[in-house]
Amino acid sequence: MDKILRIDMGAAEGPKATVHPVGEYAGLGGRAFTSALVSKEVHPLCHPLGAENKLVIAPGLLSGTTGSMSGRISVGCKSPLTGTIKESNAGGQAAQVLARLGYAAIVLEGKPKGDDLYKVFINKDGVKIDVDNSLKMLPNYDLIEKLKSQYTDKAAFISIGTAGEMKMLSASIACTDPEKRPTRHAGRGGTGAVMGAKRVKAIILDDTGMKMRPPKDPEKFREANRRFVEGLRKHPVTGQGLPAYGTNVLTNILNEAGGYPTYNFKEGQFKGATHISGETQAELEIKRGGSATHGCHRGCVIQCSGIYHDKHGHYLTKQPEYETVWSHGGHCGIDDLDTIAHLDFLDDNYGVDTIETGVTIGVAMDAGIIPFGDKEGAIRLVNEIGQGTPLGRILGSGAEVTGKVFGVERVPVVKSQALPAYDPRAVQGIGVTYATSTQGGDHTAGYAVTANILKVGGDVDPLKPAGQVDLSRNLQIATAAIDATGMCLFIAFALLDQPETFQALLDMLNAFHGASMTGDDVTALGKRILTMERDFNERAGFTKHHDRLPRFFSQEKLPPHNVVFEVKDEELDQVFNW
Amino acid sequence: MKTSLHLVLDPEHLGEFFPILRTGVSVKARVGCSIRTLLCEQFKLDGEYVQGRVTTIFLDGKAVDDIDSVPIRDGSTLALSAAMPGLAGATIRRGGILAVMRGSITHKESGDRGPERNGTITVKLFNLLLAEVGPDFLRRGILVKSSDLENFFGRRTDAFWQGCREILLDGKPATPAQLKIGGWCPSGGVVNLSVAPKV
Repeated sequence: MDKILRIDMGAAEGPKATVHPVGEYAGLGGRAFTSALVSKEVHPLCHPLGAENKLVIAPGLLSGTTGSMSGRISVGCKSPLTGTIKESNAGGQAAQVLARLGYAAIVLEGKPKGDDLYKVFINKDGVKIDVDNSLKMLPNYDLIEKLKSQYTDKAAFISIGTAGEMKMLSASIACTDPEKRPTRHAGRGGTGAVMGAKRVKAIILDDTGMKMRPPKDPEKFREANRRFVEGLRKHPVTGQGLPAYGTNVLTNILNEAGGYPTYNFKEGQFKGATHISGETQAELEIKRGGSATHGCHRGCVIQCSGIYHDKHGHYLTKQPEYETVWSHGGHCGIDDLDTIAHLDFLDDNYGVDTIETGVTIGVAMDAGIIPFGDKEGAIRLVNEIGQGTPLGRILGSGAEVTGKVFGVERVPVVKSQALPAYDPRAVQGIGVTYATSTQGGDHTAGYAVTANILKVGGDVDPLKPAGQVDLSRNLQIATAAIDATGMCLFIAFALLDQPETFQALLDMLNAFHGASMTGDDVTALGKRILTMERDFNERAGFTKHHDRLPRFFSQEKLPPHNVVFEVKDEELDQVFNW
Repeated sequence: MKTSLHLVLDPEHLGEFFPILRTGVSVKARVGCSIRTLLCEQFKLDGEYVQGRVTTIFLDGKAVDDIDSVPIRDGSTLALSAAMPGLAGATIRRGGILAVMRGSITHKESGDRGPERNGTITVKLFNLLLAEVGPDFLRRGILVKSSDLENFFGRRTDAFWQGCREILLDGKPATPAQLKIGGWCPSGGVVNLSVAPKV
C-alpha cells in the first residue's frame, strides 16, 4: 500500500490513470487517508458534483492482511447531501482486494464531458478504463450479475445503482460481499452521487497473483491477531449477541427504553417492535433456510450479518441491519419483516442509503403522501426513487429536501443528514454527537471506546459523570482513530471491556508496520482527523450554529418518558475544545 | 380461580414460547425487595450470572444502574437483557461509564419501598437470556392471558403437538385437540402456565 491510483476522469483525451507514491499520506489509512486528502486537495466551496470534488476510496491500515476484522473500506469526498467533508465506510471484499493490489487509495478526479459511462478494472498488471454504456441504469444486482461473468472468481466490485447515476443525494456506493452480492454500502452522505458525477459505474478489483500483505514482524503479528480474535470471541456482544441476532438485537431494548423513534420521531415506543426485533428476525431466517450468522467479508469473526430468505425460501436480501429495520420499520409504522427486507433489497439494488431513505419515507408519511404503516406504499415510493420519477427524484434527495418540498416541520436531520435510530431526547449523549459530528447526523461518529481505555483527557470516574460533552468528545476522537485502521467498529465492544484486547489491536498495528504506537498516539490520530475535518467544514462555511439538533427535539416531549433534549448550545460548543 | 395448564414438551419446542417471554409475562413474586434479591433469591439466578450476564435492565422503561438499591414494586415491569452493541447499547448498560449519556431515562429511586409482600410483576426477557433462563421461568410458571394463549396454541404446527408429551389442565390430563379448539378456559381469564422439558 505504497501507491495512490489517481484517475482523471476529465482528461482531454479521455479518462487517464496515473500511479503516484503515497507521499505525504504515508501511514494513513481509511478515514484518516480520505479526510487528509479531501481536506488538502478539494476546494471546500466546490460543488460536490463538479469536477473539483474528488472521490477517495481507501482501505484501512490492516486491510489485505491476515488480521481479523480488517475489511472496512472508507469513501471520502465533499458530500452533496451535507456540504461537509464526508467519510462513509462499508464492509465487503473490496478493502482486502484493493490493499493486496498495493493501493493506499483510488482517487477519482475531474469529470468527463458527455454522457458515456465507464467501468474501471484494476489488477496486478495495471488499470483499464472502458466506456460501457450497456451498464446504464442497471440496478446493482443486475449490474453485478452482468459483470461477474466477465471477470475471475477473485474479483470484488465497487458500484453504483440507478440512484448514483441520477446523482441523488441519498445515493450509496455498493461493495460486494464474499458471495458477490452488492449488499455492503458506503451509505451515508450521497457518495454514490459523486461517483455518478464522475460517470464511473463500477470499479472491478482483481487480486489474482497477489499475496496477503506481509507484516514487518510476522510472528508478533500472528500472536497479536490470535489474542485479538480470542478477545472478540469471549466477549458477550462480539462473541455471542451479534453473531446470534445481528445489530437488530437492539430493537427490543431501545423500544423498552422509550428511545426508539416512532412515527417520524413523535413517540419513543413502537407497538409492533417485537414483530421486527432481532430475535424474531433470527428465528425467521433460520426457519426459512437462510442464516442469522454471516460475515460481510472474509476474515470476520463477529459474523453479525445474515441471509434473509422470503417465505418461499429464496434469497431476498442480506440480513437488514438495526438501522434499516428501524428506518423502514418503526419510523414508518411498519411492523412486517418481509416488507422491511424487501425495502432493504430495493435500497441495495437502486443504491441508496437505508437510513436516509427510510427517514425520508417517514417524512413523506408525515406529509400525507402515504399513511404511516402503508407497506405497499413504502415499496412503491422506493421504486419511484430507483426509477427516477419526479416524486422519486424528490425523495431520493433525502429527508431535508422532502420536508421542504412538502412543508413538513418535523424533519430529523443535522447538517441535512437524516438521524439514525436513537432518539436524542432519550439518549442525550448521542444527541451531542449527532449535533456536533463533522459528518452530519451520524450514530457511528462517537462509538463505544471509552476514555478510560484511550486515556483521552484522563480517566473518567463512572460515579462522577464527566458530562455528555466530554464523553462525546472522547468517543468521537476514538471513533475517528478506529475508522483509520479499517477495522470494523464493532470491535469496539470488546475494546470497551477488555483492555487486553485493545492492546492486542495496538500490537497488531505495531507488528505489521514496525511501529510503536501507544494509546496516546491513537488519541492523537483521532484528534488529527477531526481537526482536518473541522477545518474543511469551517472553510466550507459551517459554524457552531450548524452544530445543533432541530428545534423540535428541545420543544416536543417524547413519550413515554416525556423528555426533551436539554443539552445547552454553550455545552455543545465545547465538544471540540481540546 | 385461575386455570392452570402444565405441559411437558420435547426441549426443541421450548423456544416457541420465547416470543411470549419477550412480550412480557406476569409472574408472582415477593415485592418490596431489591432487584438483586428478586433475581437471585426468588428467580434463583446465579449471582455471577446476574452480575456478568444480565447487564442491561429496565424497570418500568427506565434504565437501572444499581440493582441493590432499586426495589421491585407490585405491578412493575422488569426487562432483562444481556450486553447490547452500539453506542446506545453501551450507554444503557447498567453502571456503565456512559450512563450519564442517558440520564433522562435512568431510574431514579424515590420514596419508600414498603414492606415485602406478595405481588405480581411483569417480566420481559430479551436476546441471549431467552434461551439461558427462559426455560426456568417456564418451568416455574407464568401468568398468561387466556386469549393470548389460545392464539398461541391456534398457530402451532403438528410438529409442536407431536412434541407435546403431556398436558395437564387443572391437574387433569387433556389432549392437544382441546387446546387447539379453544374454549378450555374462561374468556378474559388468566392461565397459570408451566412448561417443562421432557427429560
